[in-house]
Amino acid sequence: MPLLDPATVQGETMRSVWTVFVVVSIVVGAIVYALILAPLLFWRAKPGRLPARFSRNVPVEIVSTLVPLAIVAGLFYITDAKESRVDALQPHPFAIVDVTAFRWSWSFDYPGTHVQIAGSPREPPELVLARGETTQIDLRTADVNHSFWVPDFLYKRDAIPGMVNRFDFTPTRTGVFRGACAAFCGLDHTLMTFTVRVVTPPAYRRWIASGGVVRP
Amino acid sequence: MIAWLTATDHKKVGVLYLVSTFGFFCIGGLLALGIRTQLARPGMTFVGPHAYDQLFTLHGTAMVFLFVAPFGIALGNFLIPLQIGAPDMAFPRLNATSLWLFVLGGLTVLSGAAAAGGAASNGWTSYAPLSEISIATGAGQDLWIVGLLMTSVSAILTALNFIVTIFLYRAPGMTMWRLPIFTWEMLATSLLILMAFPALTACLSMLLVDRRLGGHFFDPAQGGSAILYQHLFWFFGHPEVYVLILPFFGVITEIVAVFSRKPVFGYVGMVLSAFAIAGLSMGVWAHHMFTTGAVDNPFFSAVSLLIAVPTGLKFFNWVGTMWKGAIELTTPMLFAIGFMLNFLVGGITGVMIASPPIDYAAHASYFIVAHFHYTIAGGSLFAIFAALFFWFPKIFGFRLNERLGKICFWTLLVGFNVTFLPMHFMGIEGMPRRVYTYPDIGTLPLLNAIATAGSAIMAAGVAMFLVNVVASARRRIPAGDDPWGGFTLEWATASPPPEFNFTKLPPIRSERPAFDARLESAASGAER
Repeated sequence: MPLLDPATVQGETMRSVWTVFVVVSIVVGAIVYALILAPLLFWRAKPGRLPARFSRNVPVEIVSTLVPLAIVAGLFYITDAKESRVDALQPHPFAIVDVTAFRWSWSFDYPGTHVQIAGSPREPPELVLARGETTQIDLRTADVNHSFWVPDFLYKRDAIPGMVNRFDFTPTRTGVFRGACAAFCGLDHTLMTFTVRVVTPPAYRRWIASGGVVRP
Repeated sequence: MIAWLTATDHKKVGVLYLVSTFGFFCIGGLLALGIRTQLARPGMTFVGPHAYDQLFTLHGTAMVFLFVAPFGIALGNFLIPLQIGAPDMAFPRLNATSLWLFVLGGLTVLSGAAAAGGAASNGWTSYAPLSEISIATGAGQDLWIVGLLMTSVSAILTALNFIVTIFLYRAPGMTMWRLPIFTWEMLATSLLILMAFPALTACLSMLLVDRRLGGHFFDPAQGGSAILYQHLFWFFGHPEVYVLILPFFGVITEIVAVFSRKPVFGYVGMVLSAFAIAGLSMGVWAHHMFTTGAVDNPFFSAVSLLIAVPTGLKFFNWVGTMWKGAIELTTPMLFAIGFMLNFLVGGITGVMIASPPIDYAAHASYFIVAHFHYTIAGGSLFAIFAALFFWFPKIFGFRLNERLGKICFWTLLVGFNVTFLPMHFMGIEGMPRRVYTYPDIGTLPLLNAIATAGSAIMAAGVAMFLVNVVASARRRIPAGDDPWGGFTLEWATASPPPEFNFTKLPPIRSERPAFDARLESAASGAER
């Protein structure tokens, strides 16, 4: 379950937002469920019992407006603080990878090196990142809208014609993670997958030095 | 037959809307069963990928544009003149024009299935440049555009009609602050349609110009902008989801009050919250675009979170209405409770994905599919069944079977939750929406199998409703003017109402004239 164990520093930040929202949601949801169901238990129609006749209670109405307002204000504060951390780009990343989405696969170019990887729908490509180091992704598309999604990083970003989207990943553990295109892009959208392999920095350097030939 | 084709009476137009939207619902539902069958197990080939793309495109299009939104219009058509004590809509012939534009538009979209290359297959959002002629070469995409243009013009004309009717055709005594909440919600919906649908009309027209007249609105290589399509589409699209829900907030408010035997709690708050939701919904469109990197995420996040406040107020007011009432769990009331329980889940996940750091994971995944089905299927669809069971006796003059109705409710409640609850977890596990199949890893096969089983249960629930209609039509137990002890004016006339609706109107001294009249006749009966 990606949510329980995000694999990047940025993912951990986003997970902390998930945690707050999920807890608040469960508490608020339980209270409102109880409020909806309680009248069904207590105040069913019975012969001889007349319903109450009130149709307003201004203090209650004011409170039931202000309390949700306070809750969403708090949620917005957390959202804004954490989002700016996730969206921030490190000025001097360890590496930059040019990712280009196309129908229906991806190419990963490592500028300044000899590593260029292009995939196909039947042979999805592999993106290699170094653990503990920040890699900046420069995302483009060669044709239609796509979306670069790594569920274990809790993150996706769209590739839109005429735009470059930049974002950072700082993986916290080694391993292989699934990636997919999340924006519907036509017939073989489903086959537009890739993997992300996170390796130790020495293994990463050996892999770059070999021009991407040696398995990291 | 000719009488129906040329009908301008708002009740006949309403019934025609009702029947045609329900027909589109059945088609959309069958398409959904096709989707769920294909996804029942990993690696299935029940249909090919191109056919699958058409399935989800037509499913979304049918449900959003041809069922839920026009069902609100169907109810509005039938109920607004009755609830305000008017003989008909302000512009009856315009009303008939709207109806047939809508029906023909819907059939035009679906007729794409017979075109070379098949129907439109780029999702109900049909983002450019994927929907441009260079990629979507078939006529199916054009039929989709032209059909939706017709339905959007139809909606705009109806909205005008509703607004004029509500403002100018109220009976003496029916002040604005005595309007039933359903009519208020339809007024808010109509204003929203007037603000939002022109953006859809523009968006689709531009796409058509690009496709057939050599335009480049959405092609950055020629100086156009791909992101512009998303802005235009969602500037319509987010208000649209409130067009899909506001009428049903009204339905639920009426039903909860009648079956709690209490006036609506917080009437003024209900009215203000409808307009607050409508107003705020004009400023949240880019929360569909958090992952584009092209919009001001904090602003759209803040406004989206704010919508929870007026929506929350509606929940508290429904609870306030039930509080210390004398609650009768009739079929419409059960569906209303089901609406609240389901919609609450969709509302809460809506608050979650209003936060960009959460949306970065959830966006375009099955988590989103779960979220909006909890609002539109668990919410609007349940309210639609509540409305059908509640107003069916008024519309057709005979009752639906209560026992079958209750079985239908429980089947749909179970089926709905079994189908859509697992989708939250599919999304978190990494399943994107609109995929043809999925890998055999983790819990995805299990979750998908459960969802497919749930969809079969839902289908059984809908079938049970149709059986109920047929069986009840055979027995034809007369409804009488007021089978439920209703509050609003439609219950103060015959079922079905005569031409021009009322032979005489009771005095209107509150927002519950039918209730007041009943009380008065009971009191005068007691005196005698």
